Amino acid sequence: MRVSSRSFYHQFSDQVRTLSNRQNRLQSQAASGQRIQTAEEDPAAMRRILDLQAEATRVQQHQKNIDGLKEKVSVSYDALRGLKTISDRVTELAVLADGTKSPDDLKLYATEIGQLLEQATTLVNSRHKGEYLFAGTRSDQAPFQIQRNAEGRITNVTYQGNTDAPAVEVAEDMTVSVLVPGENPGGAGSRGLVSDPRSGADLFRHLIRFQNNLLSGDVNAIITQDRPALAKDEENIIFQMSTNAATQSRLDSAKNIATSRVAALGNLISREGNADLAETLVQLNQTQTAYQAALQGGARVMQLSLLNYLR
Amino acid sequence: MDLFGLLHLGARSLQAQRAGVEVAGHNLANVNNPAYARQRVTLQTSTTINSTLGPQGSGVEAVAIERLRNTLVDRQIENELGMGSFLEAQRNALEQAQASLGEVLDLSGSGTQSGLSKNLNRFFTALQGASASPTSLTERHLVLSAAEELATHLNITGDRLQALDKSLNESLSNEVDRANELLEGIATLNSRIGHVELSGNGTANDLRDLRQSRLEELAKLVKIDVTERPNGHLSLAIGGQNLLSETAQLDALEVYTADDGQPRIRTRDGQTPLDLTGGSLQGIIEVRDGPLARLRNQIDTLASTLASEINAIHQTGFGLDGSTGAALFTGTDARSLRVNAELQEDPAKLQLSGSTGSAGNNQIAVRLAQLAEKKLPELGNQSLSSRYNSTVSELGQALASVTSKSDDQRAVERMLRIHRDSISGVSLDEEMSDLMKFQKAYEASARLITTVDEMLDTVLSLKR
Repeated sequence: MRVSSRSFYHQFSDQVRTLSNRQNRLQSQAASGQRIQTAEEDPAAMRRILDLQAEATRVQQHQKNIDGLKEKVSVSYDALRGLKTISDRVTELAVLADGTKSPDDLKLYATEIGQLLEQATTLVNSRHKGEYLFAGTRSDQAPFQIQRNAEGRITNVTYQGNTDAPAVEVAEDMTVSVLVPGENPGGAGSRGLVSDPRSGADLFRHLIRFQNNLLSGDVNAIITQDRPALAKDEENIIFQMSTNAATQSRLDSAKNIATSRVAALGNLISREGNADLAETLVQLNQTQTAYQAALQGGARVMQLSLLNYLR
Repeated sequence: MDLFGLLHLGARSLQAQRAGVEVAGHNLANVNNPAYARQRVTLQTSTTINSTLGPQGSGVEAVAIERLRNTLVDRQIENELGMGSFLEAQRNALEQAQASLGEVLDLSGSGTQSGLSKNLNRFFTALQGASASPTSLTERHLVLSAAEELATHLNITGDRLQALDKSLNESLSNEVDRANELLEGIATLNSRIGHVELSGNGTANDLRDLRQSRLEELAKLVKIDVTERPNGHLSLAIGGQNLLSETAQLDALEVYTADDGQPRIRTRDGQTPLDLTGGSLQGIIEVRDGPLARLRNQIDTLASTLASEINAIHQTGFGLDGSTGAALFTGTDARSLRVNAELQEDPAKLQLSGSTGSAGNNQIAVRLAQLAEKKLPELGNQSLSSRYNSTVSELGQALASVTSKSDDQRAVERMLRIHRDSISGVSLDEEMSDLMKFQKAYEASARLITTVDEMLDTVLSLKR
């Protein structure tokens, strides 16, 4: 075919432009490590990556939720441990307060019970990041209010919270409720921390009655009424501690699953979007070689014309 | 033939060779002119004279200058240019639309660094976070900040897409003006070619080249049907309407607002809507009314669905201060979407609780966060982020498809141009050869005249 001067230049510039574009694309892939950056380059893969990224972001948020819940569960456990220590001492005092003790001894025990009541009230009003842990969903106010007599002795502790237990998503279609209501008189839902008809627990009323019996020296009532009632309170606290431990274990398990899921999603995203560097660099080398050859060949041909041989 | 006749023969030969040099020079001068088709001088032996020796040649004369051009290839190139521009216009618009979405993957971090996808994910993860700590003002701030970023991104995307639509309509108007200029120019050239060629002075090669160049420019704008008459005049139709008949321009193009409110093309005087099938004008119309209209609609639907679904849940909730009934988002489409200013001023008013007086209640926050995955009928039973990801993918698919077709089309155009250049393109080497050829012939003709002159001197010296 006849080749005109113009068609040679056109073809040369077309070839150089094509090779230059290819070089640019491969160089960009090698520099970013990514096979695709915009939807145009691989629409289906882009769609999959965006979906996977959305899923990864959700799972990462689940991880954060789990971390937050674990903090709450841990702080709740500290409070429960404190209550258990109080319950242990109360049970000990109930055993000590028998017919062999003088009225003064019993009054001393009553004073200690008063202090333990104060301590228990502080524990059940525990807060984490400004949120009361045992108030149900009324977590912006102290759940337990104390009433005292003229002598400053606690005569009643009333519950201001509710029995709701907010559930938080820790995985797709999986929620965990870590907050325990202080009291649950209705007997449905989560067991109350200090009062629940299902277990017969009613810690504060039992402690106040025990204190009153100690002050009045009614040893018989202590033996027949307070000891069994306080035992039920202790059982309830142990139940709450075991529930707390089970929740912690559940959260640990959910965290492990979420961590594995994030890693797996990262791998999937990488497989879809990352460039095979070895292959990319080989292709880049090939293209650079072709580019150099095109430039050298073009320059040589352009240097030659009949004009070089005419006087 | 006597000596004077021979002298004339030499003079005619000089003229013929000089014409050859002139044409070669013209070709060389136009070597880089893309509209130019190389020319050749047509030499013909002069009239034969009857002599006593029998019929005797009387030399050469240049009878015509012809241009080397294949009309069939020209028509093919016109068609292919129209298709190329049609695809290129779509490609340009879709590339701008893709840039408007700003969805660029960056896998080096935890996710995309830009784009609506990131904002949607951030908004719903912020709601997730707030559902875990509904009383936390920090989490509430994060929700409102993510909502603000999401709304702003939708506003910007909506604005960009509208600006793109406006810019396409302006292009339509500018290109119609240019098409009318070209039509007028072609009619004028038709007339000038007619005048030149009717006078019998040969073919108006350069004017015809210029007209072909104008036709090709017009073919890039709009698909044209050209009919060439034996007298060299052209008739031209666009969308089945004759706009040019030989030297008379019958009509022109104009942009009008169609029933659907969109600018389209029709004839100016006849006001006949044109059914265009190629060229950048139709490319602009098709991409504007097709993929870009769908894109704008999808982004607007996404924004309105987001607002209505979020508000429907949010309005049933209660803020930390017991407030209820407020919408989180206002606006009905991507450009008008805003975050309720009252909530931004006081994040405690964000209604995340399912019952009044229960600050720690997270029922509404959970329901809002679950919207991320909820399949919504308004979005073709897809979730918000899934619908958006589909939109990005669909746009990418449209762009990839048009790019691929456009690349193929360029290859076709390139091959046709190479083919045409093989016929019409100037070759420096050839022209230099021709230059030498005619120069040598010119020198030889001059030598003939010198020889005849010497012969005449010889004859005249016989008398002395």
